[in-house]
Amino acid sequence: MLGLSARSREWWRLSAKPDEELIAEVLGGDSGAFTELAGRHRPRVERLCRRFFSDEEMARDIAQESFIRAYTALATYRAEMPFGGWLRAIVVNLCYDELRRRRRRPEELVGDFSAPEVQWMQTANVASPEEIVGDAEERREAYDLAHRLLDTLKPEDRMVMVLKESEDMSVSDIAETLGWSEAKVKIRAFRARQALRKQAERMLAAGRNRLQS
Amino acid sequence: MNCFEARQEFSALWRKTATAERRAELLAHLKGCEKCDHAFRVFALTAPVLHGEMERDAARVSRPARREFSLADRPRRFASVSREVALSRQPIRWLAMSAAAAIFVFAASTAYLSTRTPNEPLGEALSIPETSMNSETAGDPLAPEMPMTESDLAS
Repeated sequence: MLGLSARSREWWRLSAKPDEELIAEVLGGDSGAFTELAGRHRPRVERLCRRFFSDEEMARDIAQESFIRAYTALATYRAEMPFGGWLRAIVVNLCYDELRRRRRRPEELVGDFSAPEVQWMQTANVASPEEIVGDAEERREAYDLAHRLLDTLKPEDRMVMVLKESEDMSVSDIAETLGWSEAKVKIRAFRARQALRKQAERMLAAGRNRLQS
Repeated sequence: MNCFEARQEFSALWRKTATAERRAELLAHLKGCEKCDHAFRVFALTAPVLHGEMERDAARVSRPARREFSLADRPRRFASVSREVALSRQPIRWLAMSAAAAIFVFAASTAYLSTRTPNEPLGEALSIPETSMNSETAGDPLAPEMPMTESDLAS
């Protein structure tokens, strides 16, 4: 490794190690190993947080907080499960706490829509499926409106919806992560889908009405 | 492709992970099935969050450079964890607080001693003992005026 700085050499040394070895180094007092560990998992953690919160700053705060929780509780980690799964449980519980803290009411959905949001709702009504997919990629409004729809769900329903649809978690995994029974997860998933469909229908109808007027 | 299979493919179409063949089948089904077409439009309203590539969505919003992990860089809202972290730093904090307290006590004492008034009563401080009434005090503008003598009147 001639020619590399000490920092680069350290990076190479850490990046070649599996999570479990890094955890052992952190527990041995090398906090630099946790920086490598956090860097590895940060994209997934932030992506998960952004599925719960449209506010980018909030999502990053919760991601950061998750790493702090993981760091302070690292001694309790057991290698039977992957570190990623253990960390995800921390993230999910933090997001759940935050959702419950700022519980919203369904009435908040029916509000003012901006002109770009109305445009997107009209696209969703009349464009072809391919156009819809392409248009959604270009529009921030599509992302914001999706969050507004999900905000109408109860925190429990939203948790199940995101974990099931986005993270492709099984019912038993969700139940274990949230500490619920599997029956409760199934019921929540059913109710969440129904509630979400109802709100989405209303939103589509609002777009149609604007189109006709 | 039937309706059930078509709805299973919505996510793959959105994420662009469906094969060209499946994609064509799905699009053909959506063209011919009004119910599935409507279901896809409903799906599309939540898909940006539930099925989207969040990195790409986040990139659309301006954001500062990614931060390295740092315990000091924690949000203030989470007081409980802050307390946990703070507990591990208590020796350093106590040292700093003790040093600050010592500096304060020293500064306060110095200030007090440099400005304090004499202990004796004011009357005693202003009265001048007779022994000090000599020639050395004559030039003192603050010295009390002496009564005139006969020799003074003669000159």
